[in-house]
Amino acid sequence: MSMNDPIARGLASGWNVTDASKLTTDQTVEADVVVIGTGAGGGTTAEILARQGLSVILVEEGRLYYQKDFKMDELTSYASLYQEGMSRVTADGAIAILQGRCVGGSTTVNWTSSFRTPDETLNYWSQNLGLSDLAPDTMAPWFQGREERHTMAPWVTPPNLNNDILKQGCEKLGYSWQVIPRNVKGCWNLGYCGVGCPTNAKQGALMTTIPGALDNNAQLFHGLRADRLVMNQDRIDHLQASAMGPNGVTPSGVTVTLKARHFVVAASAIGSPGLLLRSELPDPYKRVGKRSFIHPVNATVARMPAKVDPFYGAPQSIYSDEFNFKHGVDGPVGYKLEVPPLHPAMAAGVVPGHGQEQRDNLGQLPWMQSVIALLRDGFHEDSPGGTVSLRDDGSPVLDYPITDYLWQGIRQAYLDMAEIQFAAGAEAVQAVHLDSGWYTSWTQAKDAINQLPMKPHRARLFTAHQMGGCGMGADPKNSVVNGFGEHHQVANLSIHDASIFPTSIGANPQLSVYALAARNSNRLAQKLSGA
Amino acid sequence: MTTPSPKYCPEDRPELSRRSFLKTGLGGAMFLSTVSMTAGLTGCATAPAGRVSAVDSRMDASYQFEFLSRDDIALFEALLPAMFAGALPEEPNQRQHAIAGTIERIDQGIVMFGPANQKELRKLFDLLNFAPTRITLARVWSDWPSVSTESAEAFLNRWRDSRIGLLNNGYIALTKISNVAFYGHDAHWHLSGYPGPPAWAVDALPQFHNA
Repeated sequence: MSMNDPIARGLASGWNVTDASKLTTDQTVEADVVVIGTGAGGGTTAEILARQGLSVILVEEGRLYYQKDFKMDELTSYASLYQEGMSRVTADGAIAILQGRCVGGSTTVNWTSSFRTPDETLNYWSQNLGLSDLAPDTMAPWFQGREERHTMAPWVTPPNLNNDILKQGCEKLGYSWQVIPRNVKGCWNLGYCGVGCPTNAKQGALMTTIPGALDNNAQLFHGLRADRLVMNQDRIDHLQASAMGPNGVTPSGVTVTLKARHFVVAASAIGSPGLLLRSELPDPYKRVGKRSFIHPVNATVARMPAKVDPFYGAPQSIYSDEFNFKHGVDGPVGYKLEVPPLHPAMAAGVVPGHGQEQRDNLGQLPWMQSVIALLRDGFHEDSPGGTVSLRDDGSPVLDYPITDYLWQGIRQAYLDMAEIQFAAGAEAVQAVHLDSGWYTSWTQAKDAINQLPMKPHRARLFTAHQMGGCGMGADPKNSVVNGFGEHHQVANLSIHDASIFPTSIGANPQLSVYALAARNSNRLAQKLSGA
Repeated sequence: MTTPSPKYCPEDRPELSRRSFLKTGLGGAMFLSTVSMTAGLTGCATAPAGRVSAVDSRMDASYQFEFLSRDDIALFEALLPAMFAGALPEEPNQRQHAIAGTIERIDQGIVMFGPANQKELRKLFDLLNFAPTRITLARVWSDWPSVSTESAEAFLNRWRDSRIGLLNNGYIALTKISNVAFYGHDAHWHLSGYPGPPAWAVDALPQFHNA
């Protein structure tokens, strides 16, 4: 393996990394802080605490995959890098959930879009939820710090045609569009961000904070599932964890007990509430798992006259916020418009169908272009979000009912996306919906989309952004943690991931997670070092 | 693919299960788990098929099935010719090879889904393999090995077009796992005009040239 790879080099230099599937006997380990999860939140936390000289153990349920494993192959990557082998869905099966399950978490498989939390969102939090410390001015230095740490900057290379079509359509219709900031260094513009960056250009947790933590003597267990936080009187005493076997999904039977002064949960907006519920931690107002948000996503696909090759090039480089805050922060639901990459397995899984029709649809993949709308949920009383609860085997599941308020936004988004695609010269457009045909004009599309039934399963919906479930707030009656991610009831527990967002973000959330985790970890480091 | 299952969270229980019930209109989870149990009791082959000998099946005997049972394999052997009409090779050996390989990749994919979604798929497959539910819910009258491609196609259309969300969900689950395993496989990339990862990048990257 190339010694230019920072992970291979670090492992060779003696990083303290344990593949839990190789453990043959139960063991107990101890550190100042145990961090559960290695994604945007966990990685940031571990690096900051370790640099302060605290001893840190990172726990990751997924496995450590790095450059040697990233071969631009969809099938192996979806099976190994994503939650439930890319089969995760909401409780009724109506919304597909894309979420990482590997060292680096979703930052290992995201499409690199790097947005600050919109000012509208931060102002809403500070004005309505008692989170005045999170106003845009006070957060700005934290965003800037993380933009530097993760090499985030607007993408200067010309967008691929898939993204350029969104720009062209917006320009024709007089809609705003912008270039997306990406967290890459020396990007080859290949288009395989979603299956693990093959060139190490992506500056997710895997290339930044995880090596930063390990260089500062943190220990990493991967293939180790956090089962239960165990209390002793009013404090968490230890974490009980199960080693996964070699396939990464079946427990081997070996357990690890992790003791620490402080515990940081950063196991995602589905995993973190799940862990708290399994642990039966104090939750006097029954807030854990409530108000879970997902930026519900719907999509249209267009057949363009020229080859788009939507599988090549930086997957996301252009976005439009024309409709995001159009009706204010808490009016009819707003949505951000972006573009997804289309590789064959992804396209075949997302575009529902069978037989000759499906074969014909997929046969035009090189000419296909797609736009997605990310709905900004959680800002309106008719958008209360979903609920994370436990299945009878203890695994977390998200129930997310789609309200009429959201359905109205979904229909409007289908319309706006189709109009943009036709304005950019599409020959035909199809809503990703079981009842949609291919429409050959905007007039036809408009009439037909207005007739489509807005029903679960018929409209194909997705989420790549899971937020909330352990919401932050000043009042313990309606939140789980305070504005610094500190648990309201348990003194030695913090939560440092997207689960603490009290609404959705209104933008791809990785930078929001990095920045809040950095801010809250600095405070935690001071507290623990002073103690 | 999941259906509502009993929730662990006691506070939410009455509300959630009532809403889930209304949503599926069929009693959803409870109905499916009854099927799963009945299927087990009546001797449906729900155990993983393991190595299937080439004599009694058209599968590659070197592959070890970890999730799909013999009945599930028969189900997919009946469905895939309809699922991939116009995409499968015409030549009988190649066609059989493509179908068998896709079923193996479906099995590999499901293994990585983990226990919770495996349980949901087990319910779905049992429902389709257990004659009383196959007839009432799928309206497929004969055993899968004797189902024609036309009947399989009609079944897929019925579940896609049904007004019952649970059946739409079953259709999505069947087509999604099959489509990904088929169109995502490098031997079938040509069907979607996907040339694969750029050759220059493959040449330049160390992970493709392990010593």
